[in-house]
Amino acid sequence: MAPPAAAEGDEALAARAAAGEESAFEELLARYESRVYRLACRLTGDDGDAKDVLQEAFLAAYRGLPGFRADARFSTWLFRIATNAALMQRRARARRPTESLELFLPRFDEDGRHAAEPAALLAAGRADELLDRKRLAEKARAGLERLPDIYRDAFVLRDLEEMTTADVAELLGIEAAAVRQRVHRARLMLRGYLSDLVGVKP
Amino acid sequence: MKARFTCADGVEMLMDYLEGTLAPAEREAIESHVAGCPRCVAFIEGYRQTPRILRAATAAALPEDLAQSLRRFIAARR
Repeated sequence: MAPPAAAEGDEALAARAAAGEESAFEELLARYESRVYRLACRLTGDDGDAKDVLQEAFLAAYRGLPGFRADARFSTWLFRIATNAALMQRRARARRPTESLELFLPRFDEDGRHAAEPAALLAAGRADELLDRKRLAEKARAGLERLPDIYRDAFVLRDLEEMTTADVAELLGIEAAAVRQRVHRARLMLRGYLSDLVGVKP
Repeated sequence: MKARFTCADGVEMLMDYLEGTLAPAEREAIESHVAGCPRCVAFIEGYRQTPRILRAATAAALPEDLAQSLRRFIAARR
């Protein structure tokens, strides 16, 4: 007899789904739909696009299951499909030009010292205490939208989706060192952006 | 390495420092600078918190109607 569904691994479920068991696919859908949707929102910044990505990703997974290799992790495979769908979706849409977050990079005086005072430099880390939750959610989304795409993708996958650097590098087709450099720069810009949100010059 | 280690130098290598991938000499340089620099202490705290704050603030919940339409979408294409 099969073990209870709750204890069954993704890969075993995927194998049963590939063999045509609809309930196994249904279980995989239930496990991952929220995470795929969240990823899609973070990468596309648009509810309608996120919905399309969610649908396309699970349809592609459904149809691609017979080709899924059981030695790979199902979640890695699914997130690769979803990320590619999100990047395609975004490319298809002409984005409105927005003011880049570059202006929020840290500033230094001529001696290489932080231009801002310690109290001001600390403000970014308290943005979630200082701002209303709903407003912060709106502004966070707007902030991702203002990141140049290459930084946004690396930051979303690595820091928000918490994938490994190696997985992000493979997904984006770039070197691990480039992933790290982009994530670092995105953090610097977003730190300054959070600081600006709470009314302190970055 | 330059004679005097600056805040800008520290920012440059901050991610590597926090992930523990710096060479010992570099780690020592940044640590001894930060120990005497309240600006860097404050900056590093904000930098460390940034991913966490953005992660929590962008954790969109899947709307119930979307979960249902996803199932209809897949079922119609089986």
